[in-house]
Formats: sequence, structure tokens, C-alpha cells
Amino acid sequence: MIFKHFWSLRKARVLGMNRRNAQYIMQYNPRSAYPLVDDKLLTKQLALKHGIPTPPLYHVISYHGDIAGFERALVDRQEFVLKPARGGGGSGIVLITDRRDGKFVTQSGKVISRDEIRYHISDILSGIYSLEGLEDKAVIEGLIHPDQAFGKVTYEGVPDVRIIVYLGVPAMAMVRLPTRQSDGKANLHRGAVGVGIDIGRGKTLDGVRRSGSITHHPDTGELLRDIEVPFWEKMLLMAAQSTDITGLGYLGVDLVIDKKDGPLLLELNARPGLQIQIANRKGLLERLEMIDRAPKEIFPSPEKRATWATQNFAEPSS
Amino acid sequence: MRRPALWLASALFLLSLSLIGYRVLRLGYPLFPTSPVKAWGLSMEVFFEPTGKNGKEMEIRAGLPQSRPGEAVIEQRNVSGSLQFNILPEGLNQIGVWSGDPEEGRVISYRATVLLNPKRLAKPRPPGPESFPAIIADKPEQILARRLIERWASLKGPEKLKAIAATAKGIGRVPPPDDNDLQQWSEIQKKYGAEGALEILLRVADFPVRKVQGFVLVESVATQPDRWIAVWTGQRWKPMQAETGDLYPESVRLLPLMIGDTPLVSVSGGKLQEVRWGISKQTLSKWRSHFERIQRSTRFLDRWSLFALPKEFQENFHILLLVPIGVLMISVLRNIVGFPTFGIFMPVLMALAFRSTGLGYGLGIFAGVVLTGYMLRRGIDRLRILLVPRLSILITFVILAFAVFALIGSKFGMREFMAVGLLPFVILSMTIERFFIITEESGAFQALRTAAGSAAVAAITYKIIQIDPLQLTFFVYPELLFSIMGLLLLLGNYSGYRLSEILRFKILGETS
Repeated sequence: MIFKHFWSLRKARVLGMNRRNAQYIMQYNPRSAYPLVDDKLLTKQLALKHGIPTPPLYHVISYHGDIAGFERALVDRQEFVLKPARGGGGSGIVLITDRRDGKFVTQSGKVISRDEIRYHISDILSGIYSLEGLEDKAVIEGLIHPDQAFGKVTYEGVPDVRIIVYLGVPAMAMVRLPTRQSDGKANLHRGAVGVGIDIGRGKTLDGVRRSGSITHHPDTGELLRDIEVPFWEKMLLMAAQSTDITGLGYLGVDLVIDKKDGPLLLELNARPGLQIQIANRKGLLERLEMIDRAPKEIFPSPEKRATWATQNFAEPSS
Repeated sequence: MRRPALWLASALFLLSLSLIGYRVLRLGYPLFPTSPVKAWGLSMEVFFEPTGKNGKEMEIRAGLPQSRPGEAVIEQRNVSGSLQFNILPEGLNQIGVWSGDPEEGRVISYRATVLLNPKRLAKPRPPGPESFPAIIADKPEQILARRLIERWASLKGPEKLKAIAATAKGIGRVPPPDDNDLQQWSEIQKKYGAEGALEILLRVADFPVRKVQGFVLVESVATQPDRWIAVWTGQRWKPMQAETGDLYPESVRLLPLMIGDTPLVSVSGGKLQEVRWGISKQTLSKWRSHFERIQRSTRFLDRWSLFALPKEFQENFHILLLVPIGVLMISVLRNIVGFPTFGIFMPVLMALAFRSTGLGYGLGIFAGVVLTGYMLRRGIDRLRILLVPRLSILITFVILAFAVFALIGSKFGMREFMAVGLLPFVILSMTIERFFIITEESGAFQALRTAAGSAAVAAITYKIIQIDPLQLTFFVYPELLFSIMGLLLLLGNYSGYRLSEILRFKILGETS
């Protein structure tokens, strides 16, 4: 009975948590490279060094004593993103769209006081959002103005694109669309919609929310399928390069598309989730094994790897 | 499955198996340490009357049980007032000597607990020269005795013994001895008593014999010891009833107290009035019997057993040894089943704490503390308190809640509530904080799901570590921890799906 279910998952080439950990993360992600991706500040510096664009960095707060001075550092910037450098799963991130009389307006329209935001920064520094509970830094960077490609299927917030990269080859991709329930955040576990992306064509597939499949955005009611992802080839290339700069063999690359600046690298994840398989209606294992068998000569070049992925991971046209 | 891990796991299994094997086969450990242990209590009360004047020394001597193959004296207690008590080995016997001036007491009492080893008997010592007493009968009597038994000369040890016993009882075997001999034999029996006559026959047949005083182990009170003759058959001593010559059946256990003719209890400088012995069956606590038995051993693995620890520290290990079982459970429930929990090992600590509060109360207190703590956490959220002081407030709150629970418990006489202090308070405080954060970030549903997962894992773990035989087995065979490590190694190599993933990826399985 249970074995039948196991068998059908196996037949669908679904990658399970245990196998992901043992066979991919532990084998291809050297521990020493983790700090590069766990600390968003380090990731940012690394990306800058290698010419991969990221959202602009405004300010970093490292000590409680610096909290009071953060507004001065912002000068007259009206909008920004406040996030913990080592946070995971989108926790602790606050999007500020406006400043009025010493108060801050968040993306969802909530007004928070100066005290409240200082309290939040203090929380971040204490490490409450950090993965290991270590002391942390608060990062303030530029707010993204998302490209309108996903405008119709986004409820506030910024959609982001997640690409799983294995041995430097983009293996699977999805776009995460904020919903009312996810409070403008693009995290699936908060209720954002995940929509698979056909790597070959750069077009969206069907969506998933929680564990159920959907075809239309729950808030805007627009069709999720067949949206063309702008800058798709460039994004695949950025994803492929991420492996080269970090040395992580199994990686989740999060990108956002800014109206003005185009695709930006938001963060990297050394333990990317498995939900992407549901968004794509496809097991990841098959593609990972295809990458294992890919011709050796593509691996030295990120361009070749990205091209190989578009050639091999195209969905059959329906 | 990766090779090296498999090898290492097998090596660990082999290691623990061979250590257990050694304990069971060579040291006679019970394979199932929970099998009931038979122990007997022997009590002796000696009533006496000093004959000398006050201040005059007197001495009471009595045969006491001693540890020998097949039985072990694990406890002796003595109440003798002003008399001094010593135990002296004398020949084959252990003699208790009470001496001194019995100022007021006219009675001494002694108690012992004797453990019978139900397992195979260790090899008894072969008889020494004391077991070949000179034959007491005179020449013609000896000739008669020889004639009576010479027909059994061709028989082997035990058979011969039976035949001789039958002869002593006068039961005619085929062919029956002639009437004249029988006539004379009954004369001898009258002269030396049944016991003496039997001894003569056995000695003439060249069997090593011992006269033994002691007790048949059935619950009883006696004023006279049982007497029997132990006969060496080449492998072991076989007891024969002195009066009848019957061999005791194998099922009867005997407790020898005195070997030889010396009276079992004697008094010098006084008059023996009465001796009362009591034999009673005892249900020894399993722990104690193992503890006692192993503690007296000199074998390496016995010395290096956890039973060698002082009692108060043993208790710690009873609990500590459960932790590996607990974490094994956690590994299974998380990696194979896929329960969501707060923190990895929080449920183990909860399960350990449930041991004192009980499952129902434990879960209730857990729910109560986390929920009220959550409300407090919500309340202080607006006050903007830094992380460390905030967690400290939660810890303080948890302790306060414990105190309230304990007071309620004492008011209503509920011990379970009073045991609340054993819950892991730091972990509970962290759980409150995690619960709050998950509620804020992922919604109350997710938080409750994780709480339910943690509670379920704690409950399952608790149920498993509560299995008494399992606990005991681990305490007796701590090398099982190697096996646990082996299992964990195998588990760590499991790269298959989790049960929860069947649900999670259901869509994917269906579309294929």
C-alpha cells in the first residue's frame, strides 16, 4: 500500500528531502562555501566582484550602537528594504515604500513608528532571524520595482525567480508570485504562488499554491500560464555563474527583475526547497541525472551550460 | 547505501552482539533481563538462656548460608543486641559467631536473602578428603554391607546410587538379598539410624558423601533443620533424604547451612532454648538482584558494568541510556516519517520529562505553558524588549508557571503536577518563542501543526522509552548503544522518501 505510493514517486523521479540532503547537498556543497550564501552581504560582495548585478546596497548596521544613526545614513531615500544578512525563508524582511514624519510605510501600507523599526533592527542584530541564532547584521538595500511582466499575476510585493542549479547547469525554474495571503512576500510557505518555468522557452507553466495546483492567480484572477519571462537567457546565465563564484554544486538561485536594472541576484540558497517540483509538475531527479550524463565539454563555460539546459529541458509543446 | 557506512554499521552491530554474547554465554547473564528472579529469605531466631553470671562471656555458633555455585547470598542482616557478630569460614561452612555479654537480650535474629541462579550451574568443586569419612561400622557389619551392594558394582554412578538407595530402604531389587542379610541390616539401621546406615552403604561403595543440614526451599517455619546426605556422582553432589534414602527430585532446591555432624546451632556458656527458622519466597526487585549478582563478580565485564556504580549514580544512567533510544526515535520520525517539530531534540527532552509527570498531564502542561507563554509573548511584543532579556522573561514565566502548577498539584494532591519541575524549562521557553515566530510568519495553522508534531513525537518517544524491558536491557547491556549507533548510521544513509512526502508530492505521483 505505502510501497505503491513510494513507487509512484520514484517513477515520477521525485527528489525527496533525504536524497536531496545526502546525495546532493552533502556531496556537492562544501561546508566552507556555506557562509558565502548564508550571509547575504557576502553573497552581494561576491556577486559584485564577478559582475553579477544585485540590488544596490545602501547601508549595513552591525552594532546596536549604530541603530540610532541609520536614518542619517539613508539620507533622503524614501524607499528601501531592511533585511537580516543571515535570515532564512524571508523572515525579518521589511519593505519600506515611503517615509513620512519619522514614520515608515511598508509595502502593504502599514505605518510603523521609528521605535518599532529600531526594535526590529535590534531583533535582527540579536540574531532572532538568523539561521543559527548567531548575532547578525541588518542590511538596507534598494527596493525593487518589479518588471511588469508579472504585474497581472502579482498581488503587491515583488515576484522572484528561483532556479535550481546543479553542477552549474540550470535544472529547474519557477517564479514565485506574492499573494494577499503571503503579505507581498514571495515565499511559498507563506502562501505565495509558485509557477513553473519552461527552461527551454522561458515561459510559465501552471501554478501551485500550498500543495494544490492552480491555473489562475488567487487575487488577480489572471491566467498563470504562458507568460514570457523577460531576460530569460541572461537569468539562466547568472544562475549558471553562481556555481562558479560560490563553488556550490547544488544551489538555489533567487533573482528579481527590476523595471530599470533588469535581472538582479537577490540571494543564493545552499539548501533549496523541493516545492519547485510541484510548481513544475515534474520530478527533479530525472534532470539531475541528465546533467550527470551531460557532455564534459559544456562544464567549463557557464554560457555553454545555460545553452545546454535550454536545449535539453524544454517542455514538449502542448 | 554507501559501502563504508554499511561496513561501519555492521562492525558496530557485531561489536555489541559479541559483547552481549560474551555476557550471556560466559558470564551467565539472562538473555532477557526481565525474567523473574527467584530469591529466598531465610530467617533464624535463636532463643537462649545464659547460664553464667552477668558479665560472663557466652558464644552462639550457627551455620549460615554461603555463596556457592548455583546460589548467592546477597544480603545478610543481624540483630543481636550487645552480642558481637562475626562470620567465620570453617572448613566447608560459614559459621556465624555471636559472642559477648548478652546484657538484656535473650534472642538473636538473623536474616539472609539467597538468590538462586536459575541458569546452568557452575561446576561445583570436587570433594576433598573431608568427604571420605572413616566408616563407622565394625568389620562384620562392613562385610554385610559390601555383600548387599556388591551386586550393583557393575552399575554406573547415578544408577548405582539409585540401587543403593533402594537397598537402604529395604526395597528388594531383583534378585532380593537373602532374608538373613536383611534381618541383620535392619539391626544395623536400628543401631546407626537410617542416616548412618545409608552412609555406611555409600561409603562401602566408595562414594564420597557429606552429611548436610539445611532446608528444603519451600515456604515453611521449622524448629529442626532438614538433613540429607550429599553424594558425589563424579559431576555433582546429589542430595539423598537421610531418613528414607530417596533422592531428591531435580526440581527441589536445597539450602545447605552446615556440612558435617556439627549441630547447626550451638551455644556455649548458655542454654539453647529454641531455634526457629523461616523460609520464605521473595520477589526481589529485578534491579537489585542483577545489581547484587553482578556487583560481586570479579569478571572484567561485570566489573565494567553499570551495576558497579553506586546506586545514586545508577539512576542517572537509567535515564541517560534512554536518550539514545529517544534520539533514534526522533531520527526515524523525522527522516522516515517526516514529522515537523520545534527544534530537533526538544521532543526527547519532553519525553524524558513525561516520565515523571505522566503522558496526559505532561502534554496538558506542555500545551498550557506554551499557550499562556504565547499570550505573554504577544503581550510583551509591543514593549520592544531585546532578544536575550526577552527569552529570559519567558524562562522566568515558565518557572513561574511550574510553581503555580506544583502548588495546584499539592493543593489537590496530584503528584503529576508537582513533578512539573522536571520539564525542560529552557526548551519550553524556546518553544514559546519559536511558536510565536512561526505564528507571526507562517500563520497559526503552521504553528499548531508544528506543535502537534512535536507533541506527537514526544508522546511516541515517551511510549517507547517507557517499555520497561527495553530500559532494563539497555542498562544491563550498555553495549547496545553501539547497535544504536549502527542503526543511526543506516538511518543516516536512508535516501528514500519520507512518508510525509507521499502527501506532499501526491500531485507528482499521480501525473506520471
